[in-house]
Amino acid sequence: MNISLPLSRVSTSGNSLFSWLLLAPGMLFLAAFLVVPGILLIVLSLHDVDGMLMVLPTYSFSHYIEAFTSAGYIRALGTTLWVAALTAVLCVLLAYPAAWLLVSTRSRAWRTVLYVILISPLLTSVVIRTFAWIVLLAQNGLINDVLRRLGLIDAPLALLWNMKAVIVAYVQVMLPFAVLPLATSLGEIPAALPRASQSLGAGARHTFLHVVLPLTIPGMMSGAIIVFALAAGSYVTPLLIGGRLQPLLPIGIYQQALQIANLPLAAALSLTLLVVTAAIAGVMSYVQKRWERRVYGH
Amino acid sequence: MSAIDIRGVAHRFGDLQALAGVDLSIAQGEFFSLLGPSGCGKTTLLNIIAGFLAPSAGTVVVGGRDVTNLPPHRRDIGMVFQSYALFPHLNVFDNVAYGLRVRKAKGEDVRARVAEMLELVRLSELAQRMPHQLSGGQQQRVAIARALAIRPQVLLLDEPLSNLDAKLRKEMQTELRRLLGNVGVTTVMVTHDQEEALGLSDRIGILGAGRLQQVGTPLELYRRPVNRFVGEFVGHANLIQARANGAGTFEASAHFSRAGVPLQLASSHAAGGDVLFLLRPERIRLSALSDYAQQTDAPNTVAGVVRDASYTGAELHVTVTLPGGGELVVEAPEAHFTDVPQAGAPVQLAWNADDLAVLPAESKGA
Repeated sequence: MNISLPLSRVSTSGNSLFSWLLLAPGMLFLAAFLVVPGILLIVLSLHDVDGMLMVLPTYSFSHYIEAFTSAGYIRALGTTLWVAALTAVLCVLLAYPAAWLLVSTRSRAWRTVLYVILISPLLTSVVIRTFAWIVLLAQNGLINDVLRRLGLIDAPLALLWNMKAVIVAYVQVMLPFAVLPLATSLGEIPAALPRASQSLGAGARHTFLHVVLPLTIPGMMSGAIIVFALAAGSYVTPLLIGGRLQPLLPIGIYQQALQIANLPLAAALSLTLLVVTAAIAGVMSYVQKRWERRVYGH
Repeated sequence: MSAIDIRGVAHRFGDLQALAGVDLSIAQGEFFSLLGPSGCGKTTLLNIIAGFLAPSAGTVVVGGRDVTNLPPHRRDIGMVFQSYALFPHLNVFDNVAYGLRVRKAKGEDVRARVAEMLELVRLSELAQRMPHQLSGGQQQRVAIARALAIRPQVLLLDEPLSNLDAKLRKEMQTELRRLLGNVGVTTVMVTHDQEEALGLSDRIGILGAGRLQQVGTPLELYRRPVNRFVGEFVGHANLIQARANGAGTFEASAHFSRAGVPLQLASSHAAGGDVLFLLRPERIRLSALSDYAQQTDAPNTVAGVVRDASYTGAELHVTVTLPGGGELVVEAPEAHFTDVPQAGAPVQLAWNADDLAVLPAESKGA
């Protein structure tokens, strides 16, 4: 704290030109690769197309009307949000014990080992990771093979090409995003608080439910927001593990853009997904901020 | 029956003997302080009483019940933490109600008890505030109300005033005495601040190096410390090594002498042999000496030169260098002086035979 104080003074006092210069490369990068494509996407989504799906110079909301009137797309959007929410909840639930272990590990060396294990899924390419799941879950895959040899099943189980497999794969890769903010949140609880709870007569369960759990709400929300946004926008994993028939909006967008080549409709669907996801993440973030302001006053 | 009985409690952290064989009885309704420098084991002992640490040896009995192996939440002990440890997500009311709700008290009983506690600590109007909206002193009062709400058998205070500024600390000390006087709960306070301990406690246990050095009332500790550690830790102390001269008086060690003539000490507490005398700075009378040659050779009288004098408003601190090189510190009420003595001024120091407290003589090198 003593070290960061002078630095924060520099950035807030007078010398703003210098701080803008420091920000400039990142801002330019974001402008070139996020803001400009975003605007282009909005413009594209408003273009009409002809019968051959050629982009016309005329503008209308036809693609949005199609997106919101087609039962298929509405259902795909709902499924996407539901699957993302389920993934977020599962990740936070599974992250809790892992975060607890990270925080309660005293030895520095062990904590480093645990962190490496934790982020290892992120260090693996999405293709390798996904094919590994296929190897495990396929009809003649590892799991079915073992179960058959043990005599537990006669016919192979349909483990792949369904939504459950997609969620399992999501949880695997997104778990670290839930663990890290939760571990931070847990680590920030002063040791005196659980002790105070105990001294007032509360056992471990009561202390966890009434002190620890509420104080980790910000960490859980942060993790859930990240996981939810990632899961709602992912298409490689569901395509390879769930198959192209899964009613998920990112798969629909992929098909419109790359297979059917109706780019304006793909753009309109993308923006719809983006806005809905951002709105939900925004509401979650607002709830989190409200809680933090109530508890910490800032 | 005593409220707390600690028998043979010891604790090790790895190779470190934090506590060694502590025996202590604390009476019902007593305000007891554990006083000592940092690292003396006082917090360890408090955590053992609270149940956050299991002692390596010994037993802790609270209210006649052996709680050594009970977890903290079964001990019925209220605790006020140094950081107050208020639950930041609960408002003042809910913080104070926490322990009552754990005990599944009825809603109306909870409301009545919380209201009573908040009235006791004079925070009734702030019941709906969140902890972060309170000042340090208010947070502390909430912490006390929360700990007392559960009607604990024993209240533990961990350095309760250390996070407050000096002025507030004095106020809270008075407030704490009023509060706990009203409630009459047995209280154990850990502190490193002797003024706090002397001002609040019925009895004090001085901890040093993991051992209970002395237990006594503030007056006993101040006037009759049993060893050098206690003598130097409680109050300020001048220590004078001396040896009986066979004529009923003592000769102080060489650096308290004047040109080879030893300083004669007369004590009403020591009989003979090697002794270490403790002389409190405020027991020394200081008088100006116009002529160095005026000094007398009477026992308990010595002349010296002012090395340093500082004026604190209420009193005057004077360090006097004796001809042999030794120094004595004198604290005198402000009203005794017309002027602050100047460095280099010759002064005469004198004290009564009764003022030389005796500590056990120390082996060489101590």
